[in-house]
Amino acid sequence: MSESCPIYFDHGATSWPKPQEVLDAVASALTECGGNPGRGVHALGLAASRMIFGARTDLAAFLGVADSRDLIFTSGCTAGTNLMLKGLLRPGDRVVVSSMEHNAIARPLNVLAAAGVTVDVVDADETGLIDADRMEAAVKAKPTAAVVCQHASNVTGTIQPVGDLADIAHSAGAVMLVDGAQGAGHLRLDLGVLGADAYAVSGHKGMLGPQGVGALYLSPGIDPVQLVEGGTGGGSSESPTQPQSRPDRYEAGTPNTPGIGGLGAATRFLAVHAEDQRAEEARLARRLAEELSAIRGIRVIGAAPSEPRVPIVSVVHERMPADQLAFALDRRYGIAVRAGLHCAPWAHRTLGTLETGAVRFGIGFGNTDDDVDAAVAAVDEIVSEAR
Amino acid sequence: MSPRELRDFVVLGFASTHDALSAEAIMKDMGVDAVTVPAPKEIGTLCGIALRVSPEHAERARELLVRGGIEPTASVVVQDV
Repeated sequence: MSESCPIYFDHGATSWPKPQEVLDAVASALTECGGNPGRGVHALGLAASRMIFGARTDLAAFLGVADSRDLIFTSGCTAGTNLMLKGLLRPGDRVVVSSMEHNAIARPLNVLAAAGVTVDVVDADETGLIDADRMEAAVKAKPTAAVVCQHASNVTGTIQPVGDLADIAHSAGAVMLVDGAQGAGHLRLDLGVLGADAYAVSGHKGMLGPQGVGALYLSPGIDPVQLVEGGTGGGSSESPTQPQSRPDRYEAGTPNTPGIGGLGAATRFLAVHAEDQRAEEARLARRLAEELSAIRGIRVIGAAPSEPRVPIVSVVHERMPADQLAFALDRRYGIAVRAGLHCAPWAHRTLGTLETGAVRFGIGFGNTDDDVDAAVAAVDEIVSEAR
Repeated sequence: MSPRELRDFVVLGFASTHDALSAEAIMKDMGVDAVTVPAPKEIGTLCGIALRVSPEHAERARELLVRGGIEPTASVVVQDV
């Protein structure tokens, strides 16, 4: 296998390859749509504006967002989690958060904690599943401003009970804030009924768009303060302050038109192919989990291989360090995986793998049964040599 | 070449580019001709996109926008050729 064409199992970090439509849209953004969107009302500027308008309306429809103005384009899921957390929480507020969170949640919350927000972390169970009863008990224990959690784990693929947690949050008068990095694209979403007050989306993982773009859904009922002020183009240049209307309030500065245009194309691709893609990646993930767990010394962390998950399978070996296994897979077999803590030390602490890390296989667009066969055979060979 | 006549047009201003393009899409779907133009100073801002429609279509355009949940921030009559 050549370095330029690996067997790619790092979809949890970013999808690769992309649908051809995405590449074409990115190129188009830099050629036919090369003006600055929302600024000059000339052909190139209008083409860029229309590219973004189309991406927003199509993504809103795909995610079940009734008013596309409630969907904010960001530089990625992390920008979205920062906006929803720092835009809403104030000193004196209390947050209940799960122990499975990625650093895109943990680090902004640590900053907020230093500023006077109380952050209470509730342990998930040993499979990575957030326990709704434990979360409810924590929420009811003291006044709570927000419940924060992921939709799916980037370490175990565990799908979290977000709808139940939203009900718990709302019953206590709190808002429900969700990190959807591993949810969007891999799970069918209807944000109009899920119950999340804010839901941060990665554009380049399950959504299959380019890197450097994401989206944040903000329900009409919440009013986070913007984190960045600046030019917004259309209709408000005279104002000395940021416009309050969505989406402009949260989109100061020239947007990432190639990224957003690419995400729009990816969305239209998924609108046609998502159901088939989800079924295929779920089948491959289950196969991979079952066959890897049958290799002596290998343990799949998280739920049992037969349990539903987003297509992420992480393993540890009883003796071989994760980094050595990942390195051998890459160098000897051209198989791309990710070793370590996956930017999620809280999750690995919960799962008992903080000291060892794990090797993560992220399955997605383009993967085949042949890829699974190759990965299983390669892991078997590598760990056999370590026995 | 004969000089062209000045005509009245209705120009609608919007809170954002997104709203202006939403309005354009709504009108296009319903067969109302609207042209994107740079916002004229009469609508209260010198920046951004506005929509220009002929006076005979203006009332219909406003009805469609109300139904579509897009509120123009301004509506003025300007003259152009």
